[in-house]
This record gives sequence, C-alpha cells and structure tokens, in this order.
Amino acid sequence: MTAPTVPQAPPAAGVADPPSGAAPPRRPQPARRAERPPRQPRRPVQGTPALVSSISTMVALICLWAVLHLLVLAQVSHARAQDLLFDEFRVQLAGATAPVDGTAEPGAPVALLRIPRLDLEEVVVEGTAPGDLFAGPGHKRDSVLPGQVGTSVVFGRAATYGAPFADLAELEAGDRIEVTTGQGELDLTVLGVRRAGDPVRPRSDGFARVTLVSAEGSGRLAGFRPGEALYVDAEAPKGFPSPGGYSPAVPTSEEAMARGVESLPSVCLGLALLIALTLGVIAARLRWSVGLVWVVAAPVAIALAWFTTDAAMRLFPNLI
Amino acid sequence: MSVRRRLALALAVGAVGLGLLPGAPSASGSTAVSPASPSSPAAAPAAEGGYSRTRTVTREVLDAEGGVDPTLSTSYRMTVKADRTTDLRGRERVAISWSGAAPSGGRASNPYGEKGLLQEYPVMVLQCRGTDDADLPLAKQVRPETCWTSSVAQRSQRLRSRSESTWLVDRYADEADRQPVSGMDPFPAADCPGLDTTVANTHLTEFVAQAGRTYPACAADRMPPEAAVDAAFPPSELAAYTDLDGKGAVQFEVRSSVENESLGCSHQVACSIVVVPILGISCDRPSAPMTSTDRACRKAGRFAAGSSNFAEEGVDQAVSPSLWWSASNWRNRFSIPVTFGLPAGVCDVLDPRAPTKFFGSELMAQAALQWAPAYCLRDDRFNFALSQMPDNAGWENMENGAGPAAFVSSEHQQAGADPVGYAPTAVSGFSVGYTIDRPDNGGEYDRLRLNPRLLAKLLTQSYLGSDLGRGHPGIGDNPMAIMDDPEFVKLNPGLSRNVQEAGATLLSLSVSSDLIRQVTAYIAQDADAMAFVSGTPDPWGMKVNPAYQSLDLPRDEWPLLDSYVPETQNECLKQNPTVYFTQLASPVSTLRTIADALIDAWPYVQTRCEYDTATSTYKLGRKDRQNYGTRFMLGLVSLGDADRFGMRSAALLTSKGRYVAPTDQSLSAAVGLMRRSGAHRPFTVTQQAITAAGDAYPGTMVVYTTAKLENLARTQARQVASFIRIATSEGQVRGRGNGDLPGGYLPIRKSGVTAPLWRAAQQTASAIEAQRGAGTTVPEEVPPPSDAGPAASGDTAAPPAETPSKAGPGATPTSADDTLRTSATTETKSSLGNVLLPMLFLVGGLAIASSVVSQLVGRRSGTP
Repeated sequence: MTAPTVPQAPPAAGVADPPSGAAPPRRPQPARRAERPPRQPRRPVQGTPALVSSISTMVALICLWAVLHLLVLAQVSHARAQDLLFDEFRVQLAGATAPVDGTAEPGAPVALLRIPRLDLEEVVVEGTAPGDLFAGPGHKRDSVLPGQVGTSVVFGRAATYGAPFADLAELEAGDRIEVTTGQGELDLTVLGVRRAGDPVRPRSDGFARVTLVSAEGSGRLAGFRPGEALYVDAEAPKGFPSPGGYSPAVPTSEEAMARGVESLPSVCLGLALLIALTLGVIAARLRWSVGLVWVVAAPVAIALAWFTTDAAMRLFPNLI
Repeated sequence: MSVRRRLALALAVGAVGLGLLPGAPSASGSTAVSPASPSSPAAAPAAEGGYSRTRTVTREVLDAEGGVDPTLSTSYRMTVKADRTTDLRGRERVAISWSGAAPSGGRASNPYGEKGLLQEYPVMVLQCRGTDDADLPLAKQVRPETCWTSSVAQRSQRLRSRSESTWLVDRYADEADRQPVSGMDPFPAADCPGLDTTVANTHLTEFVAQAGRTYPACAADRMPPEAAVDAAFPPSELAAYTDLDGKGAVQFEVRSSVENESLGCSHQVACSIVVVPILGISCDRPSAPMTSTDRACRKAGRFAAGSSNFAEEGVDQAVSPSLWWSASNWRNRFSIPVTFGLPAGVCDVLDPRAPTKFFGSELMAQAALQWAPAYCLRDDRFNFALSQMPDNAGWENMENGAGPAAFVSSEHQQAGADPVGYAPTAVSGFSVGYTIDRPDNGGEYDRLRLNPRLLAKLLTQSYLGSDLGRGHPGIGDNPMAIMDDPEFVKLNPGLSRNVQEAGATLLSLSVSSDLIRQVTAYIAQDADAMAFVSGTPDPWGMKVNPAYQSLDLPRDEWPLLDSYVPETQNECLKQNPTVYFTQLASPVSTLRTIADALIDAWPYVQTRCEYDTATSTYKLGRKDRQNYGTRFMLGLVSLGDADRFGMRSAALLTSKGRYVAPTDQSLSAAVGLMRRSGAHRPFTVTQQAITAAGDAYPGTMVVYTTAKLENLARTQARQVASFIRIATSEGQVRGRGNGDLPGGYLPIRKSGVTAPLWRAAQQTASAIEAQRGAGTTVPEEVPPPSDAGPAASGDTAAPPAETPSKAGPGATPTSADDTLRTSATTETKSSLGNVLLPMLFLVGGLAIASSVVSQLVGRRSGTP
C-alpha cells in the first residue's frame, strides 16, 4: 500500500514512478499530472532488494499499525466500552443489582471512579488481566471492592487503550477521589503517590482504602514508556462493610505488570485468518478488479488486524 | 500485479513477524512474576537407604534313602523390601514388605511377641544386633543370640516331649544342638534348675546383651530387664502373616539403645532387621522305623493356608515360628542392615558450648532432631537447641529476651516495642493420626475420612463413651462413640461398630498451641460443624454437649468445660467421683505423647478402676493397651511425627466432598494459596480459601523463626540469621542424615510454589542480622529513594519532587506501633512496558526507511 503511492517528487528527491518503455532514461516527470498517460505495469524490482523491501514494508506496516491501534483505535474501543459499561452500571445501580461482593464476573462493571483533578470518570470493571483493562480500570479480584473497609486495589492502563490512569502521578495528597458502588458513594482523600521503595502506609482499622495502580516511565518520552508500577493511596475514615467472598488469590496474569499466555491461540487464529485473507485476495485478484477486491477485503482486513492486535496485547504487561 | 504480489508476500512475512514479536521481548523483558512452575513431588524417601533383596528359600526334607523327598520339600523365590534403613531413630517404624513367600495358616489375632507363636508358615521379623557378615568377629555378627524377643517362649524350648522336639532332627543343625539339652555350653544348671534332664528335651537360645552379659532365657526372670512382664514398650518383634498371594507387609518398630539398652542399637552399634520366613524344619534321614520326632518333623501344618486360629489351638511345631532360631529356618533369613542416627541429646554430650535455645513449636521436633547435630558438631556454627513449649510461651520468651528466637506457626500479638520478623523455616502441619483395625483380622484400616463436624463432635465431648454418659443432661440419646455414629459409618464403612471409650475422644493437647488454632479454624470454617456447635442437631439427631454449645471458635486452647459426674452404684466410681467426660478426653501436654500413645494403641482414657488391697481403696487409672485386632484410637499429631513413626493420617473434607490427606501435593497446594501482608510478616490464608481450593490440605502450617528486628544482641542476631539461611538451604534437602529435612515436611525451595517463602526467609534473615528495624521508620522521613533517579531527567509528566513533601502529612500514622511494621513498596517493573511503544515506533520508522532504500537500490540495479 505504501510503495506505489510514494508522492511524485523532483527526480533527485525520491523514488519516481518508473516510466514506460524498456529502458527509460531518468528524467524529470512532467509537471502536468493530468496529462499523465494511463499507468502501465511497472517493471518489478527483483532479487534481494525486492525481498528486503517486502519485509521492511511489512514490518513497518505492523509496527505502525500497532502504534496506531494502541494510541488511537484502542482509544475508540475504550471509549465505546466505557459508554456501554456506564449504561449497564447505571441500570444496575438503579435496580440495586450492582455487585457488592466478590461475585462479579471478570469484565463486569463494579464501580464508578471519579477523580475531579484529573477530569477522569471511568467505570471500573472486575478483573485485572491485560484483557480486562482494555475496557477501563480493573478491580483486583483478591481485594475488597472500592469503598469497602479494607484495601481495594484498582489497576489502570497508563499509555494505551485510552490510558485512563496516564496522569495518576499528578495526584497530590488531599485530592479527592469519588467512588460509586452498589453500596453508595464515598469520597476518599488521596494520601500520596508511592513508588518502589516507598514505605507502605499502614491502614487503620475501619478505614476504606483504595490503591490505584498504574505505570509510569522515566527519561525521554516518559509518557510512552510506562515501565514501572506507580501507586496512589486514597482513604476514607469510614467505609462500607465488606461481605467478603473475594477469591483468596488471583492468577499471576492479574498481578501488577503481569501478562498471560492464555490468548496465544487467539493470536495464532488471527494470524492464520490474515494469511487466509491474503491468499483470498490474491485469488480474487485473478477474476475481479483491484477496486472491487479491496472494497470487499479492506474491512475484513482491518477487523482481523484489530482482533489480532487486541489478542496480542493480552500477551503484554497489563498496566502499559 | 507485482505490487499485489509483493504485498501478499509482505503480509505473510509480517504475519510471521507479528507472531514472533511478543515472544522475543517477553523472553528477556518483563520482571513480572513468572507463573510458578508446579513443584515436582519430592522423591519418595524410600529411594534413600531402602533395601530390596531376592533369594530362594527352601525346606529340604530327606527320605529314608537320603534323597530329597519332593513331596515335603518346598522352595520359594522370595523378595523382601524395606523403605528406610539409615539413620533410624528410636521407635521409628520401618515398612517391610515381601512377596513370593509361603502362604501362612492359622492366623493369630495378635502377631506380636508370644501371642504370635501359634501360627503356621508366618514370616518372623526381629531386630538383632550385629550385621550379617561372616568376616566380622563373632561379637559383631547377627546371631539368634543377639536377636530381641520379649518372651522366653519365643527363644527357648523347655522340657519338650519327643513329638515336640523337631529341632532334634534338623539336618542343618550342629551335632551339639541335636542333643536332648542344648543351646548353651556349658549348660547354666544353676540358673535353670530342673531343665538339665534326659527325660525331656530342652533348647535354650540365650540372649547376649550389648554390655556383654548373657541371659540364659530359661525362665521369665532369666531374661533381660526390658523383656519383663508389663515392660515399658510392647513387643515389636512379630510373626507376620503372608496372604494367599505370597505377599505380606508390616510396620516394624525399631528400638534404639534408649528404649532397649540390652539390645543396644545406636549410632555406634550396627544392627539388623532380620526377616526369617518360616518354611519348616528340613528333616534329616529318618531312623527306621520312624520315631515320633521324625513323624512330627514331617508335618506340613494342620491349618489351611489363609485360615485363622483365633481359638489359639496348637500348631505343628515344625512349621511354627517357635523354631525361628533353628538352623533350617535361620539359614533362610534376610538380614536388613540398619544404622541408627545420633540420639536426641548428642549435642549436650559432644558440644561443650552453651546451647542457643530456640523456643517454641513442637512441629519442629523431628526437623530439629536431625538439624541440631549439623550445628553443634561444627566449630563454625553454634550449638542449636530446640526448647519445645507452647507457641505463646515461646513467643513471649523471645519478646522478653529469654531466647534469641522462637518458632511459631501463626501471627502472634506483639507485646514489646521491638519489631519482630517472621522467617518461614519449615512447612508442616497437623494430622489426625489413627490406629484402627478392621474387623475379623482384616488388617489395619488405612483410608480414614473425617469431616469438620466429626472433629467438632469429638472435641466437644458430645459422644457418651459408655452407659455412664447416658445420664448426661441434654445429650442422653447421642451415640456412644464415633464408631457408632451414622455419619462416621457412612464415611468409613466396614469398620466394627463395637463401642470403645477411646472412640469417644480425639486425644488432643491440653496446652495452648497454634496447632489447636488451626484445627479449630478448620472446624469454624464449616457451616455444618458450626451449626452443630451452636446447637442444631445433626441429620441423625445428635446434639452438641450443652457445656460446649456456642463455644467461640477458632481458639488457641481447648477447654475442658463439662462438669457431669455420673451417678452409679459402682463402688470404685462412688469413691472417686470425677467428671466422666474429662476422664475420657484426658488431653496431654505434648504431641509426642500423643504419637507414642498411637503407636502403642494405648489411649489416655483414665477410667480403669484398680483396687489397692493394702489400703482397701479404689483408684482410677489409665486404661489398658488396646488389643491387636480391635484397636481404635484417634489422636492429634504433627506431620513430622506421623511420618517418623509410620502413622496413618486421616483425609479431611475440603469442598465438594473431596477428602484430602497430607501429601507433598496437598501441602504445596495450600502453600500456593498463602499470601504475605508485608515484609517480615507471616504468610496467611483463610481456612475458607483452603477448603474452597479442594486439593489443599487444611492442616498445612508454616513454621516461622521469629526474632526481633531491633535490640537483639549482635552475636545472637548473627546466629539467628545464619540459622535461617542454613535451615532454608541445606536444611531443606530431604534426607535422613544430620542436617537433612525429615519426612513430613515440605521442602522450601528457591523455585516452585515455596519460592515466596524462601525469598521471605532470606529477606527476614538479612533484616534480623542488620537489626535496623523493619526496613523503614516514621513516614516523615519518607523521601523515596527511587524518586531521585527519575527526577533528574525532569521531563516526566509527574512532578515527583513535590510528592514526598505532601505524602508525609497525608499519611498520618495512627499509632507508633503501626508505623514500625510498615514495609517498603516492592518494585514492580516491566522492561517490556518500558520499551514497547518506542520500539514499535523505531522499528516502524527503520522499516519504512529500509523499504524505501531497497526500492531505490532495486530500481537502480535493475536499470541497464
């Protein structure tokens, strides 16, 4: 897709379309594009350069697609998921069916989190596996729900999929965090940001603690290099009672910065379908025109790429 | 066209590339916890020091012509195995099994000691001093004279008639042993009056004690002191039974010089377990006509193979175990050489340095027994000693400085100001041990299953014990004992329902212990059990003893609350009015006492009445040992003792009807659920979580070495730290030698499910050695060390420089105690997360450049 559409440019500056003829001399393109003769099949580049070019093109496609997906497209899917979750949670709150114990299925909404200072309003879902955090911040399943007496742990992504917790480090002691769950609303006060090596703050009996966990980078491009876990503790002196029923431990793929291999089959399936699509395009090209084939194939290709990238992202740390 | 093709190729290559992409960095990248590798089940200890030997054993009876009589002669290819032979300790039980032996007949109800003599074709198992090596001096060889028996009848034949003197025609015996009076030369006529006669035949197998004294064994008072009537320990030698398929197995209890000084086996005196398959006397050529002795010798047994002899009828002497010492039988022996470990007190004797006492948990007893010599026998280490006491007492001693460290197995209330660190040192637990015989000589029951409610019934003294308990208000209709409880019968079918008082109780601890807390927590997590305790009758109508109704569980100590004194016409009980249920329960103070009671099947039930003729008074005492074949006893023991003494452990109900016995797998499963609340804190898990998991053993307990993190003397701190490091490295290697980890403990390893425990132990060991508190101080001094680094670059979104100053006041400590316990935030980082996006950018950009360049190059080279 890239190679044929390199912009026309002065001869010395870039790659020119090969002119027609067996041995075309290199010369400037005519300035009047409208008069260009119909395109003729260009002489293919052959041998090692062709191979290198193909590989490079593909690597570039994949890398840039992934960047595009993570930073732009995933934001769309995150926003959509939040929209749906918000509606669902609203109905649950109204119907008093929102979960108040450890019975929620992974992926289901469990709380609404508002941080006025960051202008953040997110529905918290159950579970902290990489895939759960696509939709929004996730509640760690071995901790109490936000707002309950005890320490509730909420993970959120720092750079990708809408990056709900990108600015977590800006919080300061005294800031307000509001959580809304099936048990009611609670305002918590931020105690401060914690990083590796900082003392864990003891929690007094009866206090409700929410620990927000995300990642941050350091050095250049810090916003794009979320490599180290970051914690924000917030507390309210009085919390909702916890009915218990939380799982005693979570799988390692749900710990901070953890990743799982459960989605490998999905990745393989997505890749296999992409290959199948490629072969299908080649076969279809023998019968139908380019335009028709791409009209049909492009949406499928994008959907498959989307699916595959999502599946692949489950293999990466959950906080980035 | 070419563009499409290139695109297709590129897509394919890219697909492969995308597949590889996550794989490559993930191999080296993230520091996130990798999935715990399933711990390999520890190799069975049988591999170490086991014994297995196969040989042909024969009986060769000669006919009148001097040839072998094929109708009477037999030959078997027999294999004998033993599971452990090295570093044995006193009373340890060795599993001995055999195959290919002659099937036994006339089975006795009790194979031990004298009572096992009335059998045919059994397999005699004895403990003997010496080893079976002809090159050794006689004093170090195994001989019948060094083999222990607990009665005269097992050693000597006294004043036998001709038809009961088959040893006289033993073709393998020396001429001297075929005389009417034989066995000791010269015959001890002074010690054994009346035996030196020609009217009847006598053979003595004297016993030679380790100290050198010879006991002629011609009467009960001519035996070693340990063989006295009502000796401290019941007989361990036995004439074991071989089933019809030629197989048999016993748990043979060995005695060290501590238990049996005359036998004298110790780490310095080699001994053997001798297995003598009784095939019968190999008879010599008969005289013509045959004498009654010749005819008796040719008998092949009057009991059919597989039959029983509960009536204790006489047996054919030629094939009975009475003549195990005869040359014909003795030559068929298997000698299993065994070595004994150092005795428990070896450090007191060999190490002049003052011992450094670690107080606390008896769960460590078996481990400490093997560990202690690895410390005190080395000059570069200290003299480690375990001083067993209730966990609470040990903890207090550690806190007030009476000792440097304590072993506990749960979190304890801190009284002093100094922070205390918990270093995981061993994984063990409790076991409900049992000795239960199946009816009709069916052998020992080995698949006992218990649920929390049955444990609650036993502990709350809700069984009546006997008719004396009938009058107890409120529970007069309850079952007498657990064997009569329909719930128990349903779980464990096929057992005798004959009530014994011992079946009304679970022998338990009278003192406070973390182990009691664990047991009661197991009961407390179960809804059915708690419903029973709070007064709801079980589905069969059994009610809880009102004295224990709504007892608060879990708890550290089990109280004796019942106060019912039965009214009876029994003179003895009238003179000694006591609380009956307390007599039944009779808890003891150490787990080892319970283990010993289980080995001997000797309950602590104190309801035996004795009449003292001298004072004409009655007194109550401990009941007699239970009879072999009808034993029924339950007791709370440690897993270490259970493994050492070969005791069986009940499988406990977890969730969904699963019963879990203590194994490496089930202990690992429980450890895998444990989590630590912070640095230097204990690992905890709720019983609910363990039972919910299904495959985890509810009795799993982690024993911690606890020591102060501040204000401990430097030398002591160093000793404790080195102890933790040694105990979690070389001390976790399974084995039977000094410094090894005995069975009944799950090794704590660097990898696998115990890795968090191992890391926690190293961390706490360093903190104890450093004596600088729990790692942090008050939060006002918060400046997080990690902030200095990132702040230098200055372009981060977060302003870390501001954070510490504001975090301080925000984190208001509620009490000084709390702040001392705080731990540092652990570092969680992922280099993958660090590099993913920049790398995608970079690689994408490079690839574009590469594509462009290669196009250019390709086009240019394609130009003629």
